[in-house]
Amino acid sequence: MVAEGFSGAPKDYFELFQIEPQFDLDTDDLGQRFRTLQRRFHPDRYSGGSAAEQRLAAQVSADINAGYQALKDPISRAGHMLERQACDLRALERQPVSGEFLMQQMQLRDKAEALSSDDNEARSHLTAEAKSLMRAELLSFQEAMEKEDYELAGSAWVHLLYLQKLNKEVAGSSDLI
Amino acid sequence: MALLQIAEPGAVAQEPASRKLALGIDLGTTNSLVAHVSDGDVKVLPDGSGNVCLPSVVHFGAEGTLVGSAAEALAVSAPHDTIASAKRYLGRSREELAADSYTKLAESGLAFETSQGPVTPVEVSAALLGALRDRALSSLDMPIAGAVITVPAYFDDAQRLATRQAAELSGLNVLRLLNEPTAAAVAYGLDSGEEGVVAVYDLGGGTFDVSILRLERGVFEVLATGGDSSLGGDDFDQRIVTLLRDEASLHSLSVAQERALLRCARSAKEALTIASEIEVQLDSIISGFGAVTVTRQAFNSACADLVNRSLDACRQCVADAGVSQIDQIVLVGGSTRMPIIGEVVAALFGKEPLNSIDPDRVVAMGAARQADLLIGNRDAEDLLLLDVIPLSLGVETYGGLVERIVPRNTTIPVARAQEFTTAKDGQTGLIVHVVQGERERVEDCRSLATFELEGIPPMVAGAARLEVTFQVDADGLLEVKAQEATTQATASVVVKPAFGLAEDDIATMLRAGYEHASEDMHARQLAEAKVEAEQLVAGIRAAVTSDGDLLSGTEHEALMTAVNDLVDASQGNNIESLRKAIEVTGRASELLAARRMDRSIKSALGGISVATLEGEAES
Repeated sequence: MVAEGFSGAPKDYFELFQIEPQFDLDTDDLGQRFRTLQRRFHPDRYSGGSAAEQRLAAQVSADINAGYQALKDPISRAGHMLERQACDLRALERQPVSGEFLMQQMQLRDKAEALSSDDNEARSHLTAEAKSLMRAELLSFQEAMEKEDYELAGSAWVHLLYLQKLNKEVAGSSDLI
Repeated sequence: MALLQIAEPGAVAQEPASRKLALGIDLGTTNSLVAHVSDGDVKVLPDGSGNVCLPSVVHFGAEGTLVGSAAEALAVSAPHDTIASAKRYLGRSREELAADSYTKLAESGLAFETSQGPVTPVEVSAALLGALRDRALSSLDMPIAGAVITVPAYFDDAQRLATRQAAELSGLNVLRLLNEPTAAAVAYGLDSGEEGVVAVYDLGGGTFDVSILRLERGVFEVLATGGDSSLGGDDFDQRIVTLLRDEASLHSLSVAQERALLRCARSAKEALTIASEIEVQLDSIISGFGAVTVTRQAFNSACADLVNRSLDACRQCVADAGVSQIDQIVLVGGSTRMPIIGEVVAALFGKEPLNSIDPDRVVAMGAARQADLLIGNRDAEDLLLLDVIPLSLGVETYGGLVERIVPRNTTIPVARAQEFTTAKDGQTGLIVHVVQGERERVEDCRSLATFELEGIPPMVAGAARLEVTFQVDADGLLEVKAQEATTQATASVVVKPAFGLAEDDIATMLRAGYEHASEDMHARQLAEAKVEAEQLVAGIRAAVTSDGDLLSGTEHEALMTAVNDLVDASQGNNIESLRKAIEVTGRASELLAARRMDRSIKSALGGISVATLEGEAES
């Protein structure tokens, strides 16, 4: 038995959280909506209910978790907005990027690899560089979405994935804390 | 809190008179405890002699089974029949079981050889749970409606499954497997009612966990968890064993002498929490040997690497949680009594840890709180726990690499779908190997299970689209479902746990248990089934009262017939027909449950403005 409307069809998480489908969103407000929904649908709330209710609650609660994950982070939020426009994210990821962008990425990667674990100044410099590139791509994503230019938005999103990976590498080579 | 007064779809209306007994059980490596909530207070239950800690030791002798201190007393004289620290071997491989130097590995399977034949770690744990349950029954004289059993946060799926199986074997109805650090945070959080970020450092007998949680408006959200499921007080004992052995040049000891030495080491460790230097008498091991001096300083340096391993896990966890500040630190587990632990933890986080609750009892107390809430004795609105999966789940792909499906620290419950396809024309089966861990290669991760998908309609290679859904429930347990997308054919999933007991093994053990069981056991199960039936009937009636309009006349009638049949069956004493009626009525209620959930989703945030949400925040 599957509840109508919760049959595993592609979901619109903006609708689930009842917020305007736009890139700029208040993550504190999102967090409160997330907690409000979980307070109501988490399986713990149905531990006195029937097996069917418990199964449904687990499904709904998993969707709320997935939605929060998707919207909380700007890059995955961008991905979700593209999905809502029927963009195939897997196909986008496989699309080649421009030679210019690739060259820039390779240079940044080389710098990241060359970082020694105690060179905090060089690290924070590189982090700042990656962050500023990210901001630019997020802005171009937003503008492209407003113009409904999903191709351009898609390419900005792919660039963001590259930058995210770079960021992880820069952080990964440091000592924790 | 106007927002929260909307009729709760799941909460079964409970009369105060129908308070149920729900237990919180801390199934520990060295000690196990049971607690419950009575009149709003958590009580940890003592045994007949007033001890709350049940040593996690079981003796499987020719004359019978002994649990706790009685078993512990036989650890030296009958080492092979006396199994301690079985928790370390739950969900573990045969090779890992073989590492236990005090017991004898059975000829085959995941079991130790005893005078009673092969005994699995699941059965050892079931015996401990059974003893705690009997303790609760004899002191409270009420049927047990359910229990929350705690597990180390860092336990993988196989270890969680083994814990659940142990509970099943002992006949307990598991309300939830709760992570130990989360339970400890609940015990503190509810008492103080504070908000903020809490770090829980939990060093038990055999496992180490660290969790970072955020408490905000009654929602306890685990941000990250980490640890080492084979680091604990036992390892510190071993360091003292090594110190004593080296100091006294003790070599080639018998198993009984090894156990006696370990006992000396444990008392020495405990004495060193107070004294800075102690004398260990080795006379009882080798007569005429005399004493050896051990200083706290020597002990601390012998354990420095163990302590550092725990601190590395803390640093990683803070980084994973992405928090800049920790407001509270909670110490859990008897091993945190070692002064060195308090010192290094305070130094790492720059804050003195909380210690107002006994670190041995805090986990059981938090579990009891949660059990009381889950069984419906409390206003369900007062606390919600959101936990995470501690280790990434993935599947094996080409070249022995791991494709990650659910990353660690993802909030549970979670469901992720992954598509697979066939490699050969006409292929009708597919094997999916599921692993858990953070490494890139399959052999460096823990093998959880192999899923065999059968009954795929024959197609050309690559045409079949198998959607495999990995679901992790609120207990942190994995379930896999598969469907062929083009034909909608459901492929069956055959689970073959890598290091565990198959469902069939559990069923066999349960049957064997029932055959030996007394009338008492039967009465107990009947009482439990009646509680379950009562709960189901109350739930359906409450649902019909609030949302009966969702059913047509005939649907309503069919449901009520099922309910009446169940009420009739619960008057009788036939457990089989009662169980059947519970199942039939449960199925009959699915339609209403699905429609209510759907209505509820649509209305949950409906008409709630940001202003209302902020109002909730302020109240």
